Formats: sequence, structure tokens, C-alpha cells
Amino acid sequence: MTQPVTEAKETKASPEPVIRISGLRKSFDGRLVLDDVHLEVGRGRIVSVIGQSGGGKSTLMRCVNLLERPDRGMVEVAGEVVHDDGHMVCRDLPRLRRTVGMVFQRFHLFPHLTAVENVVLAQRRAGVPEQEALERAVALLRRVGVAHRGLAQPEQLSGGEQQRVAIARALALKPEVLLFDEPTSSLDPEATREVLSVMRELAADGMTMMLVTHELPFAREVSDHVVFVDGGRIVEEGHPDDVLGSPAQPRTREFLASYGSTS
Amino acid sequence: MSDLFMVPWSDYQSELIDALGRTLLYTVVSFAGAVVLGLGVALLRLNRAWPARAIATVYTEVFKNVPLLAIIFLTYFGLASAGIRLDVFTAGALSLIVFYAAYLSETFRSAISGVHAGQTEAGEALGLGRAGIFGHIVVPQALRLALPGTNTFLVDLLKSTSLLVTISAAELMSEGRLITSATFRALEVYIVISAIYFALCYPLSQLLLWLERKVRAGDPLSPWRRRRMQAARALLAQDTSPGDTSPADVGLREAAA
Repeated sequence: MTQPVTEAKETKASPEPVIRISGLRKSFDGRLVLDDVHLEVGRGRIVSVIGQSGGGKSTLMRCVNLLERPDRGMVEVAGEVVHDDGHMVCRDLPRLRRTVGMVFQRFHLFPHLTAVENVVLAQRRAGVPEQEALERAVALLRRVGVAHRGLAQPEQLSGGEQQRVAIARALALKPEVLLFDEPTSSLDPEATREVLSVMRELAADGMTMMLVTHELPFAREVSDHVVFVDGGRIVEEGHPDDVLGSPAQPRTREFLASYGSTS
Repeated sequence: MSDLFMVPWSDYQSELIDALGRTLLYTVVSFAGAVVLGLGVALLRLNRAWPARAIATVYTEVFKNVPLLAIIFLTYFGLASAGIRLDVFTAGALSLIVFYAAYLSETFRSAISGVHAGQTEAGEALGLGRAGIFGHIVVPQALRLALPGTNTFLVDLLKSTSLLVTISAAELMSEGRLITSATFRALEVYIVISAIYFALCYPLSQLLLWLERKVRAGDPLSPWRRRRMQAARALLAQDTSPGDTSPADVGLREAAA
């Protein structure tokens, strides 16, 4: 009976990391993409990764659920080391990936299934009973505001609706952390607003999130921590107001300046 | 005009029905076999190991570039002279299977590789295993892509069973030849035989086109999927009051707690 109290105390004091990455290195065909990257995402925290395209941001995120295998370094998810020094340690890859939800830039909804079935599929494969999976799918579609389109095929949905279904799908297995890989980069401003508002609600609900984004004002608004990645390395990180407001590194200033002039 | 139709067709009724059944049997058995073998060959061609790909490529190229009639003669007469005696049905069905499997494997291969790589990745990210990704994500989408080509080959196969007349396979064309030699009325007999083929193939291709449209529209075809959609519709319809805007308890908080 006293257990929940102590648990709550612990999380208040200092959130234990859901994601812990250290000394990460990754190269593609001899080209170094990430080098000696250290990163922690505490429970309930929101960490945004910013930087130029091709700078290694997405690769970093894809190393968390091992869609990419690191060459060196350690990846720990929910207290479990999953990849260590170039070796796969995770014995149950599907289970790791159910712990980590992912939202892609190009949605990748399953086009042969309706919106609600997109949210049901992985639950059923994970052994959730049919009725429970359906109820949860419908509740999640309501949550992201697309329940009225629940029986539509993905191709009949707008970009913003598709991405919100994708968020519901990623939430279906009650992941401990959500990864967002440039979730609004393929969307028009209106759809971007829709998706960001859903993400804002998730943040308010205390969802742990790691976010690769070009939406700098949004990153500044919701993040607890911002990481600027350039040339495969973390150049600067810290509180969003510091990194995005008064960056210490010239490279960060350069990036932010070029960003301000283009947007 | 009235002397065009002089064959006593009622005398041949039961023979024709038998022959029709045999044509359909050849079609069903050969098509099923060709689909299975074609899928196997397609998977070999998509395999990472190059020897597997090489075997599959050689197979496909050989059987695509040899006439079906030559394959029929090889399996029935050729193998017999080498001591392997296959009965007519086995030889006929086998010829159709190996020939159409070569074409179907090409259709299946391009359909499977036509499924976007992001789909596999999304499946992986959702914790699906290889079998789950293949069975629930790749195959259903590949099926949509493969259906038009596959359907064309099914109708083509049905028509090609007529080549089995050369090994007296007792299908429609063979029966036509028998009736002709008994009545010497080639024009009338082959008009009727052709009409029967048309009466089989035209509705079949229309049916397959209808099926393609259903599948493309994403209509549920299996009873279990229809049940799921009904259940989903019922759930989506209930409780859509304006007070619904409060955060539904869908496990977000427990995940965050």
C-alpha cells in the first residue's frame, strides 16, 4: 500500500532515464554520421534534437529502437541495456520496440487498413484481446481528434489526420517513450498546427518524448532540454531558452541565424 | 443458315459436361500450383543469398522463353522416353504449373518489392516480428499490386488448357476434336467449343475485375474483418457528446506515472 507513495517520491526527486545513450558512434559505408554522442531522456521529460538535415538527428533517434544498429557505444531503454559496443544485447527486439513508440515524417500508415485498424494491428499481434484493442483504438482516435474518420482509408485522410492516426497508433501499446522523427516536415501549416496541438496535450499529460524537429518555436515551448547536433556531434545542449535564446557556441548561432532568415 | 447446326448435340451432352469439368479441374489445380511455386520463386529472387537468386532467375528465364507446347511435349513424351512415365493429368497440370509459375513469380516479385520500405519499418517500430510484418503488412499490400497481373494469367491459363488437346487430355478441346472426327462438322463444333470457352472466360474476368475494385477500395472481404469493422463502427458511433473533449483515460497517464 505504501509502495506508490515511494515511487512517486522517487520520480519527483530526479526522473530516472527512460533513454540513456553514451559514446554512440554510427557510420554508413565508412561515412561517420554520429560520433561520441551522449544523451539522456528522463521520465516525463521532453528532449528536442535540432540541427541541419543530414546532420545525424534522425539516425540518433533511430538508434533508440534499433532501427539502426550503432557501431559503438551503449543504448539503454527503460533501465535495460539493449545495445552495447556494437553488439545487440536486447534479446527481445519486439518487446523493446513496443516500449518505444515512433512517429515518422511520412506517417507510414498501412494503406490497406482503415484508421482504426491501423491502431488495432500491433495490439492484436502483442496479444491484446480483440474487443479491448478496438476500444483502445477508438479511445485513442478520439484523443487525437480523428475518431470521426475512424473507418476511412489513409489515402482518404488529410496529412494532418494521417499523422494524428499515426500518433494514436504509436500510443496503442502504451509505450514508455514516444519518438517523433520530424513529424510535421511533410505537412502544411494548418496540419502542422493540428499535430503540434496533439503533441502539446501529450506533453501536458506527462508523456516522455524525444523529438527531432525543425519547429524551433515549438521545441522551445514544450521541451525540457534541447540538443543541437551538427556534423554527427552534439555541439550544444541545455535548457531551450539558453540553446535557442542565447546560444554559447558560434555554430549554434550560425544555425539559428540561417533558420531565422529562411523561415 | 439452318444447316449450320446439324450436330446432334444432345448425344454429346454428358461428354461435354465431363470435358468442361476436366478443363476447370486443370485450371484450378494448375493455377493453385503455379501460385505456390511462383511465390516460392519470387521469394528466392528476393533472397539475400545470391545462389538462391541465381537459381530463381535461371528458372524464370528458362520457362518464360520456352513455348508452353514444347513444355507439354517435354513432360509427356520427352520424360516418357527417358523412363519417367507421367499420366496425362499429371503431365498436363505440371506443364501448366511450371510455365505459369515463371510468369507469376515476376508479378509477385515486383508486387512484393513495390511495397514501400517505410511500411516494413513502421511494422518493425511497432514491435511486429518478421512473420507479422510479412503476413499483415507486406502480403496484403503486395496482393493489391499483384492482383491485376495474376488475374490476367488465370484467364490465360484457362485458355491455355486447350493446348492439352495435343496429349488428348479429355478437356474441352479434346472433346471437340472427338466430336469433329465423328461428325465431320469442324466449323460448327469449334464454334460451339469456342463459345463455351468464352462463356467461361468472360464472366471470370469480369468477376476478377470486380474483386480488384473491391480490394482497391479496401472493402472488407473476409467475415472476420467485416465483424471487426462492425464492432469498430458501433464503438465509434457511441458517446460522441460534446463533453468528450476531456482527455480520455487511454493509458497516457499510467505510462507517464
